[in-house]
Amino acid sequence: MSVRVWQLLVVVLAGAVAGCAEDASKMRFAQNAVLAKPVHRKAQAVVEKELEKHFGTPLDSVAWLKLPVNYGKAEGKVKSVDGRSVIVDFNAETSDLEGLNSPELSRAGLLFTSGANQGESFLLASYDPSEKSFETLLPLKTAPAEGDQFVVAGQNLRHGRKLYARHCQHCHGINGDGDGTTAKYLNPRPRDYRLGIFKFTSTNKDTKASRDDLKRIISHGIPGTYMPSFVPMLKDNELAVIVEYIRWLAMRGELEVQLLKDLKNDYAADRARKEAKESKASTSEIENQIAKQLEEYVANPTEGLAAFIETVTGDMVSAWEGAETADTVIMPPVPRVPDTTASRERGKALFVKTDGGKCINCHGPTGRGNGFQTEDFQKNDAAGGFYEKRGLHDAWDQPIKPRDLTRGIYRGGRRPIDIYRRISQGIKGTPMPPVAATVKPEEIWDLVNYVLSVPFESASPKAAKAHSVAGQPSEHGNAN
Amino acid sequence: MSSAKVAKPGKPGGENLVFQRGGFTVRKFWCAFFVFWPIVAIIYSLISSLVPSLGWWFPGPSVTELGQRIDNLFYLILYIVTAVFIGTQIAMGYVLWRASHSKDERAWFSHGSHSLEVIWSVVPSVILLFLALYQMDVWALFRVQAYFPKEARDAPIAEVTARQFEWRIRYPAPGKKLQLKPQPDDLYDVNDLHAPINRAVMIQLRSEDVQHSFFLPHLRVKQDAIPGQIIPIWFKAEKQGIFELTCAELCGWGHYKMRAQLTAEREVEFEAYLKKLQADQNYDGHATPSAVAKKDE
Repeated sequence: MSVRVWQLLVVVLAGAVAGCAEDASKMRFAQNAVLAKPVHRKAQAVVEKELEKHFGTPLDSVAWLKLPVNYGKAEGKVKSVDGRSVIVDFNAETSDLEGLNSPELSRAGLLFTSGANQGESFLLASYDPSEKSFETLLPLKTAPAEGDQFVVAGQNLRHGRKLYARHCQHCHGINGDGDGTTAKYLNPRPRDYRLGIFKFTSTNKDTKASRDDLKRIISHGIPGTYMPSFVPMLKDNELAVIVEYIRWLAMRGELEVQLLKDLKNDYAADRARKEAKESKASTSEIENQIAKQLEEYVANPTEGLAAFIETVTGDMVSAWEGAETADTVIMPPVPRVPDTTASRERGKALFVKTDGGKCINCHGPTGRGNGFQTEDFQKNDAAGGFYEKRGLHDAWDQPIKPRDLTRGIYRGGRRPIDIYRRISQGIKGTPMPPVAATVKPEEIWDLVNYVLSVPFESASPKAAKAHSVAGQPSEHGNAN
Repeated sequence: MSSAKVAKPGKPGGENLVFQRGGFTVRKFWCAFFVFWPIVAIIYSLISSLVPSLGWWFPGPSVTELGQRIDNLFYLILYIVTAVFIGTQIAMGYVLWRASHSKDERAWFSHGSHSLEVIWSVVPSVILLFLALYQMDVWALFRVQAYFPKEARDAPIAEVTARQFEWRIRYPAPGKKLQLKPQPDDLYDVNDLHAPINRAVMIQLRSEDVQHSFFLPHLRVKQDAIPGQIIPIWFKAEKQGIFELTCAELCGWGHYKMRAQLTAEREVEFEAYLKKLQADQNYDGHATPSAVAKKDE
């Protein structure tokens, strides 16, 4: 065979190995991502090391106990020992035991809390739920005695990872960056968890999504997007562990983005080149200087990296924990205002008011999602200046359209309370603002009644009349 | 030739020659070979049909009467095909057996025989014509809307819209009729179709994107969903329970995700389900749904 053919073969094979398959055993890192400007490669290495330390890799994940994630834990004591299998008895708590049934247990850990093996941890090879017996991956040096206490932990994370890999990963990505293999074909793009923001929640505007919110999205799907419903295919306990895994990925992403944001000022990717241009020093000297500075930053116990991570995770923990408390869930103080023509007209008047909720600016005079803001250049708060393209953008820098309310598709749910919450608290990560501060609850209900009537407006001549009453030009297109 | 003993029937172009020259042992082997497998197949089918507990036979009876009739058609065809299969296999075994006993007997050259051509054209045509006529009423009942039971035709219970990769379901409000276009008081659910038992019910099937197929295996209902079309399907479940509803048309990478369920329940339970759906859909955060969507027009 000629040399050229060989070269071609090598190139094709290398492409097949490197380009096509994504390594499922490694987490992706946000290098050159939209969310965080690229940092110096040494700083990037620091970020990657920190994330590996606290979160591990998908196949060997670390349960960082500081985070409010339900990693799964079951306590019990040894009943008897039969060769390598240890027959055990759990101290109740059936919900935690569900995960133990899965083959994913193989990498869950067992820690003895009393007896001869106290303080020693073992990886488990198998668990037989009918016999209630474990086998450890490696033989136990000293056989545990009857009554020895132990804890099994981490099974939820591992069970969750397995389900996430099967059902979610190809769109949402191995590390939840919304950039899985099928993501590029989708519009709207799959959610990128790394900002820790989820759009459709029941919590107030400053709070994260609760477990129930995430579960609701997975079980109901999001109409108008590619997110399907996963129920009844996934059972309740499976939904619960997927939710835990997604929260864990979101926290990992948040820490990553925060670290990159923190480091990008002092360790920009092009710092060495820039400084070399400005000063007389050579690039290698500046590289050494950067390395030294970084070392100092990592080593500094009070003002360095460790302290920064401490603060960031502290905020993160309270934010995610806050979402689980009942007082962050938005409940309308008054019941829904009866859905009458009068209420709808009041809602319509508010909708088109340019100094109130300003709905009209984006959603347009008839709710078609064609307000003037969609044709205007918008400010880019994160990067400064304006976006290059006209129209609205979300927190992920993706172009976003205001909902066309005539279509009757409600991504975050069609219940009155869902729409009330979205109007009252806005939609997180999007330009949809909260209006609770300026609009009264009764008025929000009027808006809800109006919004829910928009898809049927053009069909009814009476509603068309209501239209002109509100003083708006009649602009009935074909509702598609 | 001594080399004829090691006959290689696989040798291209040489089969006839080798067979003719082969000893009786080789001929008997092929006779036994071609008789053995049909016998295995028949024994296997007999065991699996006579001992259903093994789970080798077809799935259990349908939960609808129409499904039972479809099954009966299937079994009728199966019996005919079995008879043909056994007959042809016996004939072939007999020919092979006879040829393995006589070196001198020559095969009858039947090519061009007029009466034989007539027989094997007319007999299958009669069978096919019989099947075509015999299945007509089942087909009409299953597919032709004019023959659907009147109670089903008059009041479709839901509209099922397939989309990548889920089933979205729209019910009319309790006491109302399903309209072609969505109504303000319609009720929505996803992946869980509820239907009353012992009543013929009709579903309007649509697709939002690509071709899907609405498949209720336990009810023997399978119908493609085609974008741009509204296709009516009906069924009458006679057993309570939760039955699988899947997509039977490869519709994209997430095809496997389109696993939903049909909940067949008593009429009262179905009504209660719609009421619950309505209460949930009008939920405003206060215990009593004070503002149940009231149309003022």
